[in-house]
Amino acid sequence: MSFIREIAKNKYLYLLALPGLAFLIVFAYIPLNGHLIAFKKYRLADGLWGSKFVGFDNFKFFFMNGDWYKVTLNTLYLNGLFLVFGLGLALVLALFLNEIRQALFKKLAQSFIFMPYFISWLVVSMMAFSFLNTTDGMVNRTIESLGGEKINWYLKAEVWPAFLTLIYVWKFAGYYSIIFLAAITGISGEYYESAKIDGATRFQQIFHITLPLIRSVAIVLGLLGVGRIFYGDFGMIYGIIGDNSALYATTDVIDTYTFRALRVLGDFSKSSAVVLYQSVMGLITIIVFNQIARKLDKDSALF
Amino acid sequence: MTTRLKEDRSLPEKGFLFAVYVFVGLFALVSILPFWLVVVNSFASESSIKAYGMQLIPKEFSLYAYQFTMAGKQIASSYLVTITVTVVGTCLAVLITSMYAYTLAHPRVKYRRILSFMTYFTMVFGAGLVGFYILIANTLGLKDSLWALILPYMLNPFFAFIMVSFFRTLPYEINEAATIDGANDLSIFFRIILPISTPVIATVSLFYALQYWNDFYLALLFIDNYKLHPLQMMIRQIISNVNISSYVGGSSTLYSQAVPTYGVQLATVCLTIGPIVFLYPFIQRFFVKGITIGALKG
Repeated sequence: MSFIREIAKNKYLYLLALPGLAFLIVFAYIPLNGHLIAFKKYRLADGLWGSKFVGFDNFKFFFMNGDWYKVTLNTLYLNGLFLVFGLGLALVLALFLNEIRQALFKKLAQSFIFMPYFISWLVVSMMAFSFLNTTDGMVNRTIESLGGEKINWYLKAEVWPAFLTLIYVWKFAGYYSIIFLAAITGISGEYYESAKIDGATRFQQIFHITLPLIRSVAIVLGLLGVGRIFYGDFGMIYGIIGDNSALYATTDVIDTYTFRALRVLGDFSKSSAVVLYQSVMGLITIIVFNQIARKLDKDSALF
Repeated sequence: MTTRLKEDRSLPEKGFLFAVYVFVGLFALVSILPFWLVVVNSFASESSIKAYGMQLIPKEFSLYAYQFTMAGKQIASSYLVTITVTVVGTCLAVLITSMYAYTLAHPRVKYRRILSFMTYFTMVFGAGLVGFYILIANTLGLKDSLWALILPYMLNPFFAFIMVSFFRTLPYEINEAATIDGANDLSIFFRIILPISTPVIATVSLFYALQYWNDFYLALLFIDNYKLHPLQMMIRQIISNVNISSYVGGSSTLYSQAVPTYGVQLATVCLTIGPIVFLYPFIQRFFVKGITIGALKG
């Protein structure tokens, strides 16, 4: 009965954890039974347990009609772009900010660059619209004043991966550069001093001291991103693209697809099958990449 | 951090440094350009936008968009919803998260590893949309209730771990001294630990507040009644809604002019981000601190 003894001994501490634990059970663990719906023909009246068991029919539907291929590819491709360009530019920014000695310039620049992190995707969407809308957007007006033809960006699916990447970098470069910068300022100044005495240039210092020493931070951030590569940013994609079906070809990700299946079509079972597919793929990815990270660099593994 | 030796820069290094300033400067300008564009054009007259498009400096200024938006009922009720959800949500979330994190960080708690793993597991294998939707909408019956906007975000594992790593840095002697004085764990937490943890509490509170303020996902899923639409939902409605005038909800007799569609959209966006932009200089450092702790220790 060591369990009861432990609880009794620290009853106040467990009492403190109780609301949080109850929250996790209700909001994170009980909903896991929603995955069962993937194998059932769910009807609200029958409830979760009463609905008819249909095996893998819901999965068949998703995998047979080619949707799975499209949304999976979009999710991986967009997240891949976000990860590479987001982290890449943040790293460059952090290295550059670290070179700047002019304190006021540095502080202001950092404040400006971090600012987009604070606003919602719907506000971002409105900002994007101010640039891109066909009749009065700044981009089209500029094209027009230069003698070009207006372009209806909201019908051109092929340009949106680039636009979304641009928006992602704009919103998160500041955030990630803070992490990189924290790692850089953590490097002991002695390394640079002795490098300088040996006659190393700034470039050499960046390539031979700074970059190797923030490698593990970069790996961890990359790994966190790769671990979530099957999860599209719903708020971002739905906030900016919304219900514009003209852009689905390149922007429809697993999360927006399941949302529509649930909220627009009201098909709980189909949506649930896709969600389960996503959760399982996500779990596999994170385990695989964690193993790889452990091989590369023991400190970088997440667990 | 470093005391620099006298810098004797070679020509390529000077060039590099120049490029650094240009790159960072341009990046900073591009970062705030959309803010500028939205704010300044919210004060442009509708006819100016229609004639010249969105401009860096509009040709013609007008406050009509704000008058129109503020005269309607929707902005007031959306503001009230957003503030209520943000304040109530943040207070409850910070309380629950800090209590939970304290137990997870406490060396005397035998099951803290199991609790940590239970918390971490939710980050890697989620229930996903359907189970979550059924729980809130059907099991708990929270459709069209403000609790649907508050409850789901009450314990963010990431913020909990930020707090755990902070509590671990506190010296355990505090605990021992208080125990000898006869205090139990509850009073130690509320009377001693919480007051000395204000830096991390401020940081986590601001993260939660930002999340509640900016969220539209929960409202999109669970709120159909427009009287309960938070600000973010209001933006979504006036971007996609054809009939802005009835949604914004002013009395029709007030308006002899046409509805300033762009103006209302931009003004609503400005009213939504206003508090954030205004508080930004004061709160920025807390976020920087939180991100740094979360990244390096998490």
